[in-house]
Amino acid sequence: METIIEVNQVSKLFKNKTAVDQISFSIQKGEVVAILGPNGAGKTTTMMMMLGLHEPTNGSVRLFGKSPKDKSVRGKIGALLQEVSVIDALKVHEVIQLFRSYYPDALTYEELITFTGFTKDELQKRANKLSGGQKRRLGFALAMAGNPDVLFFDEPTVGMDVTARKLFWSTINELKNRGKTIIFTTHYLQEADDVAERVILFHEGKIVGDGTPTNIKARLIKQSVSFTPLNAISLREIQILPYVIDVYEKDKRVHVLTDNTDLVLATLFEKKLPIQHIEIERGRLEDAFEHLVEQREVI
Amino acid sequence: MQCKVEILRIFRNPYYVFWSLFMPIVFYVVFTKIFNSATDDQQLWKAHFLMSMAAFSVMGSAIMTLGIRLVEERKQGWSMFMRITPLSDQAYFAAKMIGQTVIHICSIVIIFTAGGLINGISLSPLEWLMCGVWLLFGSLPFLAIGTLVGTMKRVDTAGGVSNMVYMVLAICGGMWMPMEIMPNFIQNIGKWLPSYHYGSGAWEIVRGGVPDWTNFTLLVGYLVLFMVISGYTRRKQEVAV
Repeated sequence: METIIEVNQVSKLFKNKTAVDQISFSIQKGEVVAILGPNGAGKTTTMMMMLGLHEPTNGSVRLFGKSPKDKSVRGKIGALLQEVSVIDALKVHEVIQLFRSYYPDALTYEELITFTGFTKDELQKRANKLSGGQKRRLGFALAMAGNPDVLFFDEPTVGMDVTARKLFWSTINELKNRGKTIIFTTHYLQEADDVAERVILFHEGKIVGDGTPTNIKARLIKQSVSFTPLNAISLREIQILPYVIDVYEKDKRVHVLTDNTDLVLATLFEKKLPIQHIEIERGRLEDAFEHLVEQREVI
Repeated sequence: MQCKVEILRIFRNPYYVFWSLFMPIVFYVVFTKIFNSATDDQQLWKAHFLMSMAAFSVMGSAIMTLGIRLVEERKQGWSMFMRITPLSDQAYFAAKMIGQTVIHICSIVIIFTAGGLINGISLSPLEWLMCGVWLLFGSLPFLAIGTLVGTMKRVDTAGGVSNMVYMVLAICGGMWMPMEIMPNFIQNIGKWLPSYHYGSGAWEIVRGGVPDWTNFTLLVGYLVLFMVISGYTRRKQEVAV
Protein backbone atom coordinates (compact mmCIF):
# COMPACT_ATOMS: atom_id res chain seq x y z
CA MET A 1 0.00 0.00 0.00
CA GLU A 2 1.28 3.34 -0.99
CA THR A 3 0.59 6.22 1.33
CA ILE A 4 -0.70 9.15 -0.67
CA ILE A 5 -1.66 11.68 1.94
CA GLU A 6 -0.06 12.14 5.30
CA VAL A 7 -1.55 14.62 7.74
CA ASN A 8 0.56 14.91 10.84
CA GLN A 9 -0.46 16.77 14.00
CA VAL A 10 -2.03 19.53 12.01
CA SER A 11 -3.72 22.54 13.59
CA LYS A 12 -5.14 25.62 12.01
CA LEU A 13 -6.01 28.81 13.80
CA PHE A 14 -8.07 31.58 12.28
CA LYS A 15 -7.81 34.79 14.27
CA ASN A 16 -7.38 32.90 17.54
CA LYS A 17 -10.23 30.54 16.74
CA THR A 18 -9.11 26.97 16.38
CA ALA A 19 -10.65 25.51 13.25
CA VAL A 20 -8.64 22.31 13.21
CA ASP A 21 -7.01 20.92 16.32
CA GLN A 22 -4.07 18.54 16.18
CA ILE A 23 -5.37 16.05 13.67
CA SER A 24 -3.42 13.18 12.16
CA PHE A 25 -4.38 10.62 9.56
CA SER A 26 -3.03 9.08 6.43
CA ILE A 27 -4.74 7.97 3.26
CA GLN A 28 -3.62 5.05 1.13
CA LYS A 29 -3.75 4.71 -2.61
CA GLY A 30 -7.16 3.71 -3.91
CA GLU A 31 -9.07 4.55 -0.77
CA VAL A 32 -12.41 6.30 -0.91
CA VAL A 33 -12.59 8.41 2.18
CA ALA A 34 -15.46 10.49 3.49
CA ILE A 35 -14.70 13.32 5.83
CA LEU A 36 -17.91 13.49 7.78
CA GLY A 37 -19.02 16.07 10.26
CA PRO A 38 -21.50 18.82 10.94
CA ASN A 39 -21.01 22.31 9.54
CA GLY A 40 -18.06 24.11 11.02
CA ALA A 41 -16.31 20.93 12.12
CA GLY A 42 -13.18 21.82 10.17
CA LYS A 43 -13.78 19.59 7.15
CA THR A 44 -13.28 22.24 4.52
CA THR A 45 -10.30 23.75 6.32
CA THR A 46 -8.67 20.33 6.41
CA MET A 47 -9.30 19.87 2.73
CA MET A 48 -7.89 23.30 1.94
CA MET A 49 -4.75 22.38 3.83
CA MET A 50 -4.45 19.10 1.94
CA LEU A 51 -4.71 21.10 -1.27
CA GLY A 52 -2.06 23.54 -0.12
CA LEU A 53 -4.48 26.46 -0.24
CA HIS A 54 -4.23 27.06 3.49
CA GLU A 55 -1.02 26.84 5.38
CA PRO A 56 -1.34 24.80 8.59
CA THR A 57 -0.54 26.80 11.72
CA ASN A 58 1.21 23.74 13.12
CA GLY A 59 2.06 20.30 11.84
CA SER A 60 2.63 19.10 8.30
CA VAL A 61 0.66 17.89 5.31
CA ARG A 62 2.42 15.74 2.72
CA LEU A 63 1.04 14.52 -0.58
CA PHE A 64 3.04 11.84 -2.34
CA GLY A 65 5.70 12.59 0.26
CA LYS A 66 5.99 16.19 -0.90
CA SER A 67 4.49 19.55 -0.11
CA PRO A 68 1.01 19.97 -1.60
CA LYS A 69 2.34 23.09 -3.32
CA ASP A 70 4.90 21.11 -5.29
CA LYS A 71 4.33 21.32 -9.00
CA SER A 72 4.55 17.57 -9.56
CA VAL A 73 1.95 17.06 -6.83
CA ARG A 74 -0.42 19.55 -8.38
CA GLY A 75 -0.24 17.65 -11.63
CA LYS A 76 -1.63 14.58 -9.89
CA ILE A 77 -4.52 16.09 -8.01
CA GLY A 78 -7.88 17.47 -9.02
CA ALA A 79 -10.44 19.23 -6.89
CA LEU A 80 -14.01 20.37 -6.93
CA LEU A 81 -14.39 23.09 -4.35
CA GLN A 82 -17.57 24.20 -2.67
CA GLU A 83 -17.86 27.36 -4.66
CA VAL A 84 -17.35 26.56 -8.26
CA SER A 85 -15.75 29.60 -9.73
CA VAL A 86 -15.69 30.14 -13.42
CA ILE A 87 -13.55 32.36 -15.51
CA ASP A 88 -15.57 35.00 -17.31
CA ALA A 89 -15.81 35.64 -21.03
CA LEU A 90 -14.76 32.14 -21.98
CA LYS A 91 -16.87 29.44 -23.50
CA VAL A 92 -17.23 26.09 -21.78
CA HIS A 93 -15.17 24.21 -24.33
CA GLU A 94 -12.43 26.83 -24.15
CA VAL A 95 -12.17 26.55 -20.38
CA ILE A 96 -11.93 22.78 -20.63
CA GLN A 97 -9.23 22.99 -23.29
CA LEU A 98 -7.38 25.58 -21.25
CA PHE A 99 -7.31 23.31 -18.24
CA ARG A 100 -6.22 20.35 -20.28
CA SER A 101 -3.24 22.38 -21.45
CA TYR A 102 -1.99 22.72 -17.86
CA TYR A 103 -1.45 19.02 -17.32
CA PRO A 104 1.25 16.78 -18.76
CA ASP A 105 -1.04 13.78 -19.35
CA ALA A 106 -4.51 15.22 -19.56
CA LEU A 107 -7.60 13.23 -20.38
CA THR A 108 -8.72 13.66 -23.93
CA TYR A 109 -11.30 16.32 -24.59
CA GLU A 110 -13.79 13.70 -25.75
CA GLU A 111 -13.38 11.67 -22.58
CA LEU A 112 -14.06 14.71 -20.45
CA ILE A 113 -17.16 15.55 -22.40
CA THR A 114 -18.51 12.03 -22.00
CA PHE A 115 -17.75 12.15 -18.31
CA THR A 116 -19.70 15.32 -17.75
CA GLY A 117 -22.37 14.88 -20.37
CA PHE A 118 -22.19 18.37 -21.80
CA THR A 119 -24.22 18.88 -24.93
CA LYS A 120 -22.96 20.72 -28.00
CA ASP A 121 -25.05 23.76 -27.11
CA GLU A 122 -23.76 23.89 -23.59
CA LEU A 123 -20.17 23.70 -24.77
CA GLN A 124 -20.67 26.85 -26.81
CA LYS A 125 -22.08 28.79 -23.88
CA ARG A 126 -20.11 31.32 -21.92
CA ALA A 127 -18.99 29.62 -18.71
CA ASN A 128 -20.31 32.37 -16.45
CA LYS A 129 -23.78 32.06 -17.97
CA LEU A 130 -24.21 28.45 -16.89
CA SER A 131 -26.74 27.39 -14.28
CA GLY A 132 -25.59 26.20 -10.88
CA GLY A 133 -25.80 22.54 -11.80
CA GLN A 134 -23.99 23.06 -15.09
CA LYS A 135 -21.25 24.99 -13.31
CA ARG A 136 -20.77 22.03 -10.99
CA ARG A 137 -20.43 19.75 -13.96
CA LEU A 138 -17.89 22.11 -15.45
CA GLY A 139 -16.08 22.15 -12.11
CA PHE A 140 -16.05 18.39 -12.22
CA ALA A 141 -14.65 18.41 -15.74
CA LEU A 142 -11.90 20.77 -14.62
CA ALA A 143 -11.10 18.57 -11.63
CA MET A 144 -10.79 15.60 -13.97
CA ALA A 145 -8.90 17.42 -16.70
CA GLY A 146 -5.44 16.30 -15.66
CA ASN A 147 -6.45 12.66 -15.20
CA PRO A 148 -5.52 13.01 -11.52
CA ASP A 149 -4.62 10.17 -9.17
CA VAL A 150 -6.24 11.87 -6.23
CA LEU A 151 -9.55 13.67 -6.32
CA PHE A 152 -10.88 16.06 -3.70
CA PHE A 153 -14.53 16.97 -3.51
CA ASP A 154 -15.73 19.52 -1.00
CA GLU A 155 -19.43 19.00 -0.27
CA PRO A 156 -19.94 17.74 -3.81
CA THR A 157 -23.66 17.10 -3.71
CA VAL A 158 -24.86 20.30 -2.09
CA GLY A 159 -27.39 21.86 -4.40
CA MET A 160 -27.72 18.81 -6.63
CA ASP A 161 -31.09 17.26 -7.28
CA VAL A 162 -31.69 13.55 -6.76
CA THR A 163 -30.85 12.49 -10.31
CA ALA A 164 -27.69 14.55 -10.42
CA ARG A 165 -26.67 13.11 -7.09
CA LYS A 166 -27.15 9.55 -8.31
CA LEU A 167 -25.21 10.26 -11.45
CA PHE A 168 -22.43 11.84 -9.45
CA TRP A 169 -22.02 8.90 -7.12
CA SER A 170 -22.08 6.39 -9.94
CA THR A 171 -19.29 8.36 -11.60
CA ILE A 172 -17.38 8.27 -8.32
CA ASN A 173 -17.82 4.52 -8.23
CA GLU A 174 -16.40 4.25 -11.69
CA LEU A 175 -13.43 6.37 -10.70
CA LYS A 176 -12.95 4.16 -7.69
CA ASN A 177 -12.81 1.15 -9.98
CA ARG A 178 -10.11 2.86 -11.97
CA GLY A 179 -8.03 2.95 -8.82
CA LYS A 180 -8.32 6.64 -8.05
CA THR A 181 -8.00 7.87 -4.52
CA ILE A 182 -11.04 9.90 -3.61
CA ILE A 183 -11.58 12.17 -0.66
CA PHE A 184 -14.83 14.00 -0.12
CA THR A 185 -16.40 15.99 2.66
CA THR A 186 -20.05 15.70 3.52
CA HIS A 187 -22.40 16.33 6.36
CA TYR A 188 -24.76 13.57 5.22
CA LEU A 189 -24.13 10.36 7.05
CA GLN A 190 -26.00 8.46 4.38
CA GLU A 191 -23.63 9.55 1.63
CA ALA A 192 -20.60 8.61 3.62
CA ASP A 193 -22.16 5.25 4.35
CA ASP A 194 -23.14 4.53 0.74
CA VAL A 195 -20.01 5.57 -1.03
CA ALA A 196 -16.99 5.58 1.22
CA GLU A 197 -14.89 2.68 2.37
CA ARG A 198 -13.62 4.73 5.21
CA VAL A 199 -15.13 7.51 7.24
CA ILE A 200 -13.20 10.09 9.18
CA LEU A 201 -15.57 11.70 11.62
CA PHE A 202 -14.86 15.31 12.46
CA HIS A 203 -16.22 17.36 15.24
CA GLU A 204 -15.12 20.79 16.38
CA GLY A 205 -11.81 20.52 14.61
CA LYS A 206 -10.97 17.13 16.04
CA ILE A 207 -11.20 13.63 14.64
CA VAL A 208 -13.69 11.75 16.78
CA GLY A 209 -13.82 8.58 14.74
CA ASP A 210 -11.93 6.90 11.90
CA GLY A 211 -12.93 3.56 10.44
CA THR A 212 -15.21 1.70 8.06
CA PRO A 213 -18.76 3.02 7.79
CA THR A 214 -20.05 -0.06 9.66
CA ASN A 215 -17.52 0.56 12.34
CA ILE A 216 -18.44 4.17 12.73
CA LYS A 217 -22.12 3.36 12.67
CA ALA A 218 -21.72 0.71 15.34
CA ARG A 219 -20.03 3.28 17.47
CA LEU A 220 -22.70 5.79 16.83
CA ILE A 221 -25.74 3.60 17.22
CA LYS A 222 -26.77 2.39 20.61
CA GLN A 223 -29.12 -0.54 20.70
CA SER A 224 -31.45 -0.97 23.57
CA VAL A 225 -33.73 -3.49 25.25
CA SER A 226 -36.79 -2.13 26.97
CA PHE A 227 -39.44 -3.75 29.12
CA THR A 228 -42.15 -3.06 31.68
CA PRO A 229 -41.33 -4.35 35.12
CA LEU A 230 -44.16 -6.29 36.86
CA ASN A 231 -43.15 -4.95 40.21
CA ALA A 232 -40.53 -2.51 41.40
CA ILE A 233 -37.13 -3.39 40.10
CA SER A 234 -33.78 -2.02 41.08
CA LEU A 235 -32.09 -0.23 38.20
CA ARG A 236 -28.78 -0.76 39.89
CA GLU A 237 -29.23 -4.48 39.70
CA ILE A 238 -29.51 -4.29 35.95
CA GLN A 239 -26.75 -1.78 35.57
CA ILE A 240 -24.19 -4.27 36.84
CA LEU A 241 -25.21 -6.99 34.35
CA PRO A 242 -22.66 -7.76 31.63
CA TYR A 243 -22.82 -5.78 28.34
CA VAL A 244 -25.05 -3.13 29.85
CA ILE A 245 -23.93 0.38 29.10
CA ASP A 246 -26.66 2.37 30.73
CA VAL A 247 -30.11 1.95 32.27
CA TYR A 248 -32.87 4.49 32.63
CA GLU A 249 -36.59 4.55 33.22
CA LYS A 250 -38.94 6.42 30.95
CA ASP A 251 -42.76 6.25 30.78
CA LYS A 252 -42.82 3.34 33.20
CA ARG A 253 -40.55 1.33 30.94
CA VAL A 254 -36.99 0.41 31.72
CA HIS A 255 -34.52 0.99 28.88
CA VAL A 256 -31.25 -0.87 28.84
CA LEU A 257 -28.59 0.47 26.50
CA THR A 258 -26.17 -2.09 25.19
CA ASP A 259 -24.04 -3.02 22.25
CA ASN A 260 -25.17 -6.63 22.38
CA THR A 261 -28.91 -7.08 22.76
CA ASP A 262 -28.80 -10.89 22.45
CA LEU A 263 -26.61 -11.41 25.44
CA VAL A 264 -28.52 -8.90 27.55
CA LEU A 265 -31.77 -10.70 26.76
CA ALA A 266 -30.21 -14.04 27.64
CA THR A 267 -29.10 -12.68 30.99
CA LEU A 268 -32.47 -11.13 31.68
CA PHE A 269 -34.20 -14.48 31.09
CA GLU A 270 -31.61 -16.40 32.98
CA LYS A 271 -32.17 -14.22 36.03
CA LYS A 272 -35.89 -14.73 35.61
CA LEU A 273 -36.59 -11.10 36.31
CA PRO A 274 -40.25 -10.15 36.63
CA ILE A 275 -40.58 -8.32 33.33
CA GLN A 276 -42.95 -8.22 30.34
CA HIS A 277 -43.51 -6.51 26.96
CA ILE A 278 -39.92 -6.81 25.92
CA GLU A 279 -38.83 -4.79 22.89
CA ILE A 280 -35.58 -4.39 21.12
CA GLU A 281 -34.80 -1.02 19.59
CA ARG A 282 -32.16 -0.16 17.16
CA GLY A 283 -31.40 3.54 17.15
CA ARG A 284 -31.70 5.36 13.88
CA LEU A 285 -28.39 6.28 12.46
CA GLU A 286 -29.22 9.89 11.77
CA ASP A 287 -30.51 10.29 15.31
CA ALA A 288 -27.36 8.80 16.66
CA PHE A 289 -25.26 11.12 14.57
CA GLU A 290 -27.15 14.14 15.74
CA HIS A 291 -27.02 12.82 19.25
CA LEU A 292 -23.28 12.51 19.09
CA VAL A 293 -22.93 15.98 17.75
CA GLU A 294 -25.22 17.49 20.36
CA GLN A 295 -23.64 15.55 23.15
CA ARG A 296 -20.23 16.83 22.26
CA GLU A 297 -21.53 20.30 22.04
CA VAL A 298 -22.84 20.04 25.60
CA ILE A 299 -19.44 18.92 26.79
CA MET B 1 -2.54 28.73 -24.50
CA GLN B 2 -2.91 30.80 -21.36
CA CYS B 3 -1.84 33.91 -23.30
CA LYS B 4 -4.26 33.21 -26.09
CA VAL B 5 -7.08 32.82 -23.62
CA GLU B 6 -6.21 36.03 -21.81
CA ILE B 7 -6.27 37.92 -25.09
CA LEU B 8 -9.58 36.37 -26.05
CA ARG B 9 -11.04 37.36 -22.71
CA ILE B 10 -10.02 40.97 -23.08
CA PHE B 11 -11.46 41.27 -26.55
CA ARG B 12 -14.72 39.81 -25.32
CA ASN B 13 -14.88 42.36 -22.57
CA PRO B 14 -17.25 45.12 -23.65
CA TYR B 15 -15.62 47.65 -21.31
CA TYR B 16 -12.29 47.19 -22.96
CA VAL B 17 -13.70 47.61 -26.42
CA PHE B 18 -15.62 50.69 -25.36
CA TRP B 19 -13.05 52.53 -23.25
CA SER B 20 -9.88 51.54 -24.96
CA LEU B 21 -10.85 51.41 -28.60
CA PHE B 22 -14.07 53.24 -29.20
CA MET B 23 -13.70 56.22 -26.88
CA PRO B 24 -10.19 57.27 -27.93
CA ILE B 25 -11.21 57.16 -31.57
CA VAL B 26 -14.36 59.17 -30.87
CA PHE B 27 -12.37 61.72 -28.90
CA TYR B 28 -9.89 61.86 -31.66
CA VAL B 29 -12.51 62.61 -34.26
CA VAL B 30 -14.26 65.12 -32.02
CA PHE B 31 -11.15 67.03 -31.12
CA THR B 32 -9.47 67.09 -34.50
CA LYS B 33 -12.41 67.30 -36.88
CA ILE B 34 -15.15 69.15 -35.06
CA PHE B 35 -13.39 71.44 -32.63
CA ASN B 36 -10.69 72.20 -35.01
CA SER B 37 -9.07 74.84 -32.87
CA ALA B 38 -6.91 77.34 -34.55
CA THR B 39 -3.55 75.90 -33.82
CA ASP B 40 -0.55 76.92 -35.76
CA ASP B 41 0.31 73.62 -37.24
CA GLN B 42 -2.74 71.52 -38.09
CA GLN B 43 -0.81 68.44 -39.14
CA LEU B 44 1.34 68.46 -36.05
CA TRP B 45 -1.61 68.90 -33.72
CA LYS B 46 -3.39 65.99 -35.33
CA ALA B 47 -0.39 63.75 -34.92
CA HIS B 48 0.12 65.01 -31.40
CA PHE B 49 -3.43 64.27 -30.44
CA LEU B 50 -3.32 60.85 -32.07
CA MET B 51 -0.45 59.98 -29.76
CA SER B 52 -2.40 61.30 -26.80
CA MET B 53 -5.31 59.08 -27.65
CA ALA B 54 -3.17 56.02 -28.24
CA ALA B 55 -1.52 56.62 -24.88
CA PHE B 56 -4.94 57.20 -23.34
CA SER B 57 -6.16 53.88 -24.69
CA VAL B 58 -3.20 51.82 -23.59
CA MET B 59 -3.17 53.44 -20.18
CA GLY B 60 -6.84 52.64 -19.75
CA SER B 61 -6.54 49.02 -20.59
CA ALA B 62 -3.44 48.66 -18.45
CA ILE B 63 -5.01 50.19 -15.35
CA MET B 64 -8.62 49.18 -15.65
CA THR B 65 -8.81 45.97 -17.62
CA LEU B 66 -5.92 44.38 -15.79
CA GLY B 67 -6.74 45.72 -12.34
CA ILE B 68 -10.43 44.97 -12.31
CA ARG B 69 -9.87 41.56 -13.80
CA LEU B 70 -7.40 40.65 -11.09
CA VAL B 71 -9.87 41.63 -8.38
CA GLU B 72 -12.69 39.72 -10.04
CA GLU B 73 -10.61 36.61 -10.37
CA ARG B 74 -9.65 36.64 -6.74
CA LYS B 75 -13.16 37.45 -5.63
CA GLN B 76 -14.68 34.55 -7.52
CA GLY B 77 -12.10 32.17 -6.19
CA TRP B 78 -10.62 31.68 -9.60
CA SER B 79 -7.09 32.64 -8.64
CA MET B 80 -7.33 30.23 -5.72
CA PHE B 81 -8.47 27.51 -8.05
CA MET B 82 -5.53 28.21 -10.32
CA ARG B 83 -3.23 27.46 -7.43
CA ILE B 84 -4.14 23.79 -7.40
CA THR B 85 -3.24 23.40 -11.06
CA PRO B 86 0.36 22.79 -12.07
CA LEU B 87 0.43 26.22 -13.72
CA SER B 88 2.75 28.35 -11.61
CA ASP B 89 1.78 31.79 -10.35
CA GLN B 90 4.61 33.31 -12.31
CA ALA B 91 3.50 31.68 -15.53
CA TYR B 92 -0.03 32.85 -14.90
CA PHE B 93 1.10 36.38 -14.23
CA ALA B 94 3.44 36.38 -17.18
CA ALA B 95 0.64 35.17 -19.44
CA LYS B 96 -1.47 38.06 -18.23
CA MET B 97 1.28 40.57 -18.94
CA ILE B 98 2.00 39.14 -22.38
CA GLY B 99 -1.72 39.09 -23.11
CA GLN B 100 -2.02 42.72 -22.09
CA THR B 101 0.96 43.68 -24.21
CA VAL B 102 -0.47 41.99 -27.26
CA ILE B 103 -3.72 43.83 -26.60
CA HIS B 104 -1.78 47.09 -26.37
CA ILE B 105 -0.13 46.41 -29.69
CA CYS B 106 -3.59 45.86 -31.18
CA SER B 107 -4.91 49.07 -29.62
CA ILE B 108 -1.97 51.03 -30.91
CA VAL B 109 -2.25 49.60 -34.39
CA ILE B 110 -6.01 50.18 -34.55
CA ILE B 111 -5.79 53.74 -33.28
CA PHE B 112 -2.84 54.60 -35.49
CA THR B 113 -4.70 53.20 -38.48
CA ALA B 114 -7.79 55.16 -37.54
CA GLY B 115 -5.69 58.30 -37.30
CA GLY B 116 -4.06 57.62 -40.60
CA LEU B 117 -7.39 57.04 -42.32
CA ILE B 118 -9.34 59.87 -40.71
CA ASN B 119 -6.78 62.62 -40.81
CA GLY B 120 -4.22 61.31 -43.23
CA ILE B 121 -1.39 61.70 -40.81
CA SER B 122 1.90 61.04 -42.42
CA LEU B 123 4.84 60.06 -40.33
CA SER B 124 7.87 58.20 -41.52
CA PRO B 125 7.75 54.43 -40.90
CA LEU B 126 10.50 54.85 -38.36
CA GLU B 127 8.49 57.45 -36.48
CA TRP B 128 5.41 55.23 -36.41
CA LEU B 129 7.49 52.38 -35.15
CA MET B 130 9.23 54.47 -32.52
CA CYS B 131 5.94 55.82 -31.27
CA GLY B 132 4.58 52.31 -31.00
CA VAL B 133 7.59 51.02 -29.14
CA TRP B 134 7.59 54.01 -26.82
CA LEU B 135 3.92 53.53 -26.06
CA LEU B 136 4.51 49.86 -25.30
CA PHE B 137 7.48 50.54 -23.08
CA GLY B 138 5.64 53.34 -21.32
CA SER B 139 2.71 51.07 -20.55
CA LEU B 140 4.78 49.20 -17.97
CA PRO B 141 4.27 51.57 -15.03
CA PHE B 142 0.55 51.60 -15.80
CA LEU B 143 0.47 47.81 -15.75
CA ALA B 144 2.08 48.08 -12.33
CA ILE B 145 -0.71 50.46 -11.29
CA GLY B 146 -3.10 47.85 -12.65
CA THR B 147 -1.65 45.15 -10.41
CA LEU B 148 -1.88 47.56 -7.50
CA VAL B 149 -5.55 48.10 -8.26
CA GLY B 150 -5.75 44.33 -8.48
CA THR B 151 -4.92 43.96 -4.81
CA MET B 152 -8.14 45.70 -3.78
CA LYS B 153 -10.80 43.65 -2.11
CA ARG B 154 -13.98 44.66 -3.91
CA VAL B 155 -14.68 44.93 -7.59
CA ASP B 156 -16.69 48.12 -7.03
CA THR B 157 -13.87 49.84 -5.20
CA ALA B 158 -11.37 48.74 -7.78
CA GLY B 159 -13.63 49.99 -10.57
CA GLY B 160 -14.19 53.36 -8.94
CA VAL B 161 -10.63 53.95 -7.93
CA SER B 162 -9.17 52.89 -11.25
CA ASN B 163 -11.62 55.06 -13.15
CA MET B 164 -10.70 58.05 -11.06
CA VAL B 165 -6.98 57.46 -11.30
CA TYR B 166 -7.35 56.98 -15.01
CA MET B 167 -9.27 60.23 -15.57
CA VAL B 168 -7.02 62.30 -13.33
CA LEU B 169 -3.95 60.93 -15.05
CA ALA B 170 -5.42 61.53 -18.47
CA ILE B 171 -6.61 65.09 -17.85
CA CYS B 172 -3.74 66.35 -15.75
CA GLY B 173 -1.24 64.58 -17.96
CA GLY B 174 -2.39 66.65 -20.90
CA MET B 175 -3.85 63.85 -22.91
CA TRP B 176 -7.08 65.59 -23.71
CA MET B 177 -5.86 69.12 -23.95
CA PRO B 178 -2.32 70.33 -24.29
CA MET B 179 -0.67 71.07 -20.96
CA GLU B 180 -0.02 74.67 -21.97
CA ILE B 181 -3.68 75.66 -21.79
CA MET B 182 -4.22 74.15 -18.34
CA PRO B 183 -4.24 76.27 -15.21
CA ASN B 184 -0.84 76.69 -13.64
CA PHE B 185 -1.35 74.44 -10.65
CA ILE B 186 -2.45 71.57 -12.84
CA GLN B 187 0.60 72.09 -14.99
CA ASN B 188 2.72 71.88 -11.87
CA ILE B 189 1.12 68.62 -10.79
CA GLY B 190 0.97 67.26 -14.29
CA LYS B 191 4.67 67.57 -14.83
CA TRP B 192 5.20 64.93 -12.18
CA LEU B 193 2.58 62.49 -13.39
CA PRO B 194 3.60 59.38 -15.30
CA SER B 195 0.89 60.07 -17.85
CA TYR B 196 2.45 63.38 -18.88
CA HIS B 197 5.82 61.80 -19.40
CA TYR B 198 4.21 58.89 -21.15
CA GLY B 199 2.49 61.20 -23.61
CA SER B 200 5.34 63.61 -24.04
CA GLY B 201 7.71 60.89 -25.16
CA ALA B 202 5.46 60.18 -28.11
CA TRP B 203 4.81 63.89 -28.68
CA GLU B 204 8.54 64.45 -29.01
CA ILE B 205 8.78 61.69 -31.57
CA VAL B 206 6.08 63.14 -33.83
CA ARG B 207 7.95 66.42 -33.68
CA GLY B 208 10.98 64.63 -35.00
CA GLY B 209 12.79 64.44 -31.67
CA VAL B 210 13.43 61.65 -29.20
CA PRO B 211 11.89 61.18 -25.75
CA ASP B 212 13.63 63.21 -23.11
CA TRP B 213 15.69 61.37 -20.53
CA THR B 214 13.44 62.76 -17.79
CA ASN B 215 10.49 61.02 -19.46
CA PHE B 216 12.43 57.84 -19.40
CA THR B 217 13.68 58.06 -15.82
CA LEU B 218 10.34 59.15 -14.40
CA LEU B 219 8.50 56.28 -16.06
CA VAL B 220 11.06 53.77 -14.83
CA GLY B 221 10.87 55.38 -11.40
CA TYR B 222 7.11 55.04 -11.30
CA LEU B 223 7.37 51.46 -12.53
CA VAL B 224 9.69 50.54 -9.67
CA LEU B 225 7.59 52.46 -7.15
CA PHE B 226 4.30 50.80 -8.09
CA MET B 227 5.86 47.39 -8.36
CA VAL B 228 7.29 47.69 -4.89
CA ILE B 229 4.00 48.89 -3.41
CA SER B 230 1.94 46.23 -5.12
CA GLY B 231 4.44 43.48 -4.28
CA TYR B 232 4.41 44.62 -0.67
CA THR B 233 0.60 44.68 -0.50
CA ARG B 234 0.39 41.25 -2.03
CA ARG B 235 2.80 39.75 0.43
CA LYS B 236 0.94 41.33 3.31
CA GLN B 237 -2.35 39.89 2.05
CA GLU B 238 -0.87 36.45 1.66
CA VAL B 239 0.36 36.46 5.23
CA ALA B 240 -3.12 37.40 6.38
CA VAL B 241 -4.66 34.28 4.84
